[in-house]
Amino acid sequence: MPPVENDPGREQIRSRIKELIDSSQVLVFSKSYCPFCVKVKELFKELNVKCNALELDLMENGTYYQDLLHEMTGQKTVPNVFINKKHIGGCDNTLKAHKDGVLQQLLGEGSEVYDYDLIVIGGGSGGLASSKEAAILGQKVMVLDYVAPTPKGTTWGLGGTCVNVGCIPKKLMHQTAMLGTAMQDARKFGWEFSEQVTHNWDTMKTAVNNYIGSLNWGYRVSLRDKNVNYVNSYAEFVEPHKIKATNKRGKEMFYTASKFILATGERPRYLGIPGDKEYCITSDDLFSLAYCPGKTLVIGASYVALECGGFLAGLGLDVTIMVRSILLRGFDQDMANRAGDHMETHGVKFIRKFVPVKIEELEAGTPGRLKVTAKSTESDEIIEGEYNTVLIAVGRDACTGNIGLDKAGVQVNPKNGKIPVNDEEQTNVPHIYAIGDILEGKWELTPVAIQAGKLLARRLFGGSSLKCDYVNVPTTVFTPMEYGSCGYAEEKAVEIYGQENLEVYHSLFWPLEFTVAGRDNNRCYAKIICNKLDNERVIGFHYLGPNAGEVTQGFGAAMKCGITKDQLENTIGIHPTCAEIFTTMEVTKNSGGDITQSGC
Amino acid sequence: MASRLLMRRVCSLSVRDFCRRPVTVSSSSSYSSSLTSSPAVQAFVTRSLLRPLFHTRSVSFNVQDQEDFTDRVVNSELPVLVDFHAQWCGPCKILGPRLEKAIAKQKGRVNMAKVDIDEHTDLAIEYGVSAVPTVIAMRGGDVIDQFVGIKDEDQLDSFAKRVSE
Repeated sequence: MPPVENDPGREQIRSRIKELIDSSQVLVFSKSYCPFCVKVKELFKELNVKCNALELDLMENGTYYQDLLHEMTGQKTVPNVFINKKHIGGCDNTLKAHKDGVLQQLLGEGSEVYDYDLIVIGGGSGGLASSKEAAILGQKVMVLDYVAPTPKGTTWGLGGTCVNVGCIPKKLMHQTAMLGTAMQDARKFGWEFSEQVTHNWDTMKTAVNNYIGSLNWGYRVSLRDKNVNYVNSYAEFVEPHKIKATNKRGKEMFYTASKFILATGERPRYLGIPGDKEYCITSDDLFSLAYCPGKTLVIGASYVALECGGFLAGLGLDVTIMVRSILLRGFDQDMANRAGDHMETHGVKFIRKFVPVKIEELEAGTPGRLKVTAKSTESDEIIEGEYNTVLIAVGRDACTGNIGLDKAGVQVNPKNGKIPVNDEEQTNVPHIYAIGDILEGKWELTPVAIQAGKLLARRLFGGSSLKCDYVNVPTTVFTPMEYGSCGYAEEKAVEIYGQENLEVYHSLFWPLEFTVAGRDNNRCYAKIICNKLDNERVIGFHYLGPNAGEVTQGFGAAMKCGITKDQLENTIGIHPTCAEIFTTMEVTKNSGGDITQSGC
Repeated sequence: MASRLLMRRVCSLSVRDFCRRPVTVSSSSSYSSSLTSSPAVQAFVTRSLLRPLFHTRSVSFNVQDQEDFTDRVVNSELPVLVDFHAQWCGPCKILGPRLEKAIAKQKGRVNMAKVDIDEHTDLAIEYGVSAVPTVIAMRGGDVIDQFVGIKDEDQLDSFAKRVSE
């Protein structure tokens, strides 16, 4: 039947077609006898997708439909397929779209078309790693990063805690302190220089922060080079697939994405006592403090507390650490106490079993003078002390409270704000993932976040199935005497395997470098925990001594390979080093044998 | 990027043309009358007084924002050397004064703009700055030359000379 130009029914059919296209997820204009149409309809049946099929040969005005479709789509033949209002084409096009994954995408996302394939909230180690990896894999990626100023007004650039107010400045300031020790040692080795040695806080602070500035810039450039869209705004969910981004001028923008990664990290916790936010600082402020902190009270016994207290003392400052209960909770307590004892013998004062109740300002200044009132945890005893600076380091809180997770339906542990995820870093909302310090029960370490982020991106967009392995993660606490560990703490190993199934080898040692300098004999300590039920496999590695990070890294690799005590013994040591101690450990803790080193 | 740059040039050209008309008026009639004639004119006069292009004593200026960059660099009638620098960059502190000296020798044939990459990150990102110091030479809105890192005075002299020609 030839098309009739002026048929009044024509426009009616046109609008009927439009209506069908708009209202169907999948619409197939078909002919009942056409084998290609059958093929396409079967495909959708296979995909378990409801397919609205119009058999034009069975309809009275089917030819009009076909003619109008030709006009509308340029396609004369059937099947003529539409998915979510989008014209796909005939049988070949549909099958090809299926093969390329385009079809699934069109179907899966419903009628929604998102601005981005992935939005990452947080520009720290984990966020940057995952976003860059996703972009390398061809995804359209946005990263949002916003640093809320501390109560003291401190703020910083791109890169997250580690780069700006964590690992990097911490280790550089630890190095500053170690250079002080080296200078003392130097005299014993024959170096002669004037007695007067002073340290200039401002020089150190500027140098450290200049280096950080260059890192911030490097991160920014690498995002540009990898085509990741970076936005310096605060992100919060308004819908499961939509966020609101507010910049520092208060301008709001909205973005949508198919998938999200939460990588917001943590910030220091305050005490919730009078004067804490007004007068105290945290590690967020310390590294860029405009003045030397002077006589300092560190509150807390976290690794942040011990590291900061340690290097401040190493700069020659009067440092006191106020501890509520134990040092380095979660770490091997034997090791933690040894690290603490070393600090104490080097002039750091510890006030144990006290908690602060009030901080008052006696005198403003840079630094000023503060009065700290503290109460015993065991009695009613109250003590007071005067300090120039009070540094709070009692732990960190996950930044998950104000990012609209309720709007997205993401479950959060109400006790600590942490996000529970499965072994693929997926939250309870399937399209939202989380990595880094905000994860429940996972390590709070930069390299872990980087690894998890990278692998997550590869699984999401690269067809990989490799998951992040959170077991046998090596780490180091940069106390004045550094402490490196990998695997289980002794108490944890006992809890899991039972005392009787473990053999613990240990030894004190005296680094060669310390001998001539005449310091810290029988202070350094090495310990390995072996599982007797499994060929004396090493399940815990602990090292208190110089260069702990460098030493522990290699043994971490060995433990990943499942090293046993026997294999350690068969390893040739490098002489003279500290790490060689692990190849010659004979004394077990059970034996009670002497481990002190004496003589030559 | 090219199209964005072109767009900006076109946009700001029209703004400039609009602003120019009253200036012609002001030169033919009295200054005060043109000042009172319209707020747009007033705005322009104030702006041009604040940002003297041709009678500056200092050979360099700090870029204030994106718009300022378009105004004084992209749309500059003279070639402009743009010194992308950072507070935390040691070599930048050496290069800056050297570059100013080299520019001064060109006696007004070339201008110098300083861009702090942390304050104006978008500009630096847009112009492909990866390391600092980066110096780009612009003429008529086009990047005609550039270098990264420190250079000695002779090298800077010949660079400035080449750009000013």
